[in-house]
Amino acid sequence: MSKIVVLGAGISGHVAASHLRRKLSKEHEVVVVSPNSNYQWIPSNIWVGIGRMPSKKILFPLAPLYKKKGIDFKQAKAVSFHPEGDQEENKPYVIAEYVAGNNQGTQEKVTYDYLINATGPKLNFEATEGLIPGENGTYSVCTYTHAEHAWKGLNEQIELMKQGQKVKILIGTGHAKATCQGAAFEYILNVEQELRSHKVRDMADITWISNEYKLGDFGMDGMLMSYGSITMKSSEMVEMIFEDRNIKWILGAGVNKIENGLAHYENLDGDLKTEAYDFAMLIPSFSGHGFKAYNINNEDITDKLFKGFMIVDADYTPKPYEEWTVQDWPETYQNPTYKNIFAPGIAFAPPHTISKPRKSKNGTEIFPSPPRTGMPSGITAKLVADNIIDSVKKGKESLHHKGSMGNMGAACIASAGYGLLDGSGISITTFPIIPDYVKYSETHGRHLGKTFGSIGLAGHWLKLALHYAFIYKAKMKPFWWLIPE
Amino acid sequence: MKRISPIQRFKMMNPIIQLFKFFILSIKIMVIVAGGHGGTRKVN
Ligand SMILES: Cc1cc2nc3c(=O)[nH]c(=O)nc-3n(C[C@H](O)[C@H](O)[C@H](O)COP(=O)(O)OP(=O)(O)OC[C@H]3O[C@@H](n4cnc5c(N)ncnc54)[C@H](O)[C@@H]3O)c2cc1C
Repeated sequence: MSKIVVLGAGISGHVAASHLRRKLSKEHEVVVVSPNSNYQWIPSNIWVGIGRMPSKKILFPLAPLYKKKGIDFKQAKAVSFHPEGDQEENKPYVIAEYVAGNNQGTQEKVTYDYLINATGPKLNFEATEGLIPGENGTYSVCTYTHAEHAWKGLNEQIELMKQGQKVKILIGTGHAKATCQGAAFEYILNVEQELRSHKVRDMADITWISNEYKLGDFGMDGMLMSYGSITMKSSEMVEMIFEDRNIKWILGAGVNKIENGLAHYENLDGDLKTEAYDFAMLIPSFSGHGFKAYNINNEDITDKLFKGFMIVDADYTPKPYEEWTVQDWPETYQNPTYKNIFAPGIAFAPPHTISKPRKSKNGTEIFPSPPRTGMPSGITAKLVADNIIDSVKKGKESLHHKGSMGNMGAACIASAGYGLLDGSGISITTFPIIPDYVKYSETHGRHLGKTFGSIGLAGHWLKLALHYAFIYKAKMKPFWWLIPE
Repeated sequence: MKRISPIQRFKMMNPIIQLFKFFILSIKIMVIVAGGHGGTRKVN
């Protein structure tokens, strides 16, 4: 009998737990430890943030589902890792602290045979002074509660605009090394469309602020893509969209401080500048959760497990951008020291960024951290689950399933406005996610046939279809596993 | 600045054209997903 503990019930944790439960017989235990009582389909937060979708449509409670499916659920947060056990407990364990219910605040040793760390990122708002969701006129759409606040804030501005007041809107990244530009990109386009539908677009000045060197970098070093019958750079595509929608942009900006209505930033020229706003949605930096790890003698071994995020089978040797290769990226997401620990999704430490690192004239690093979107998060979680399932069934380690982001495609459907007949979406696919500049040396590291962009109403329908399909899948309704990650 | 011409915009927003596009995009995306994934390192 094996016990598999999954930390986190986001996209990757939930995918892993669902597949483990489906494929392993009931004699094996699957335990999920996660602080949030709900599952949330994060990509649809964009629509919560413009008041077009109530948050109840993007979430559902986990406990009843897990009970029905035979998954043990602890509404708790992992605090520390003990991969060798301790003097009293000879099995490896994590300490989990309950966050709700009668035992709130109590800690428990949760032992395991296999551990999947799928805790995603910590939304590190503290890294930018004054960047607090719902305060100083800044908002976030990273969780459904943040998105609800964002809509409230935006709606207030819409009312002011209706009364004839001009408003400045600032959307983008709130830290010099933030990631998730895609989410901010979706939000700015959705906000722009909402203002048009409320007939107040001419009252708003909308600006994109980002740590990207060029538009359309998205933390992926940009893309060369097929667009209809032509080949286009992602920078050209985003520039076309922003110009068409009268959105201004500030690039190479490392936002470092927020005051009420003022975003202070440094640019790559080393200039210290300030942008005024009435409403801002700025994505914070993402960091690891600051977990600690201890060996059997209770000595600190955090550096064996974590490098901010969790250490996996990546090549972390520091080297210059020119020497980076796809081979640096992990394939099995297994910790090299403790081989029964895995970290799919955002929880693993990337070997380096994807975008070219850049410094300002003052030496401040200003460039996007590597994103890991929903699709690779789901795929890596499934392959980790499959390797554990094989290992449990064979009784010995099996790492047959591999999935490097350097040999994996991703589809990203960015909403550009909500509405069954007037909505829009920008559908982008990329193969591979990590550009392979050796294999695809002529096409900016990507396969042109599999890297394409498309703009239009179909993109909105696709995004909506994916919303319903992935919530169906997450609810583990009949034949859910037929829907790919 | 209107960077997207009226004809392009018509094509982008016409429900009939976009319905075809929806099916084509779904298939193209499925092909990429079904194309699978794997490692990148050579094993001796
Ligand atoms: C606004 C927004 C829009 C997005 N849109 C898209 C999109 O359109 N397409 C796309 O592909 N991707 C999108 N993404 C990215 C996508 O949401 C992420 O790639 C995905 O959520 C990562 O999954 P994950 O499981 O690694 O992390 P998460 O989904 O963040 O899950 C982490 C889980 O760990 C739990 N946790 C945290 N701390 C602990 C702890 N101490 N112990 C135990 N559990 C813990 C959390 O509660 C959560 O359940 C978007 C992201 C945002 C913010």
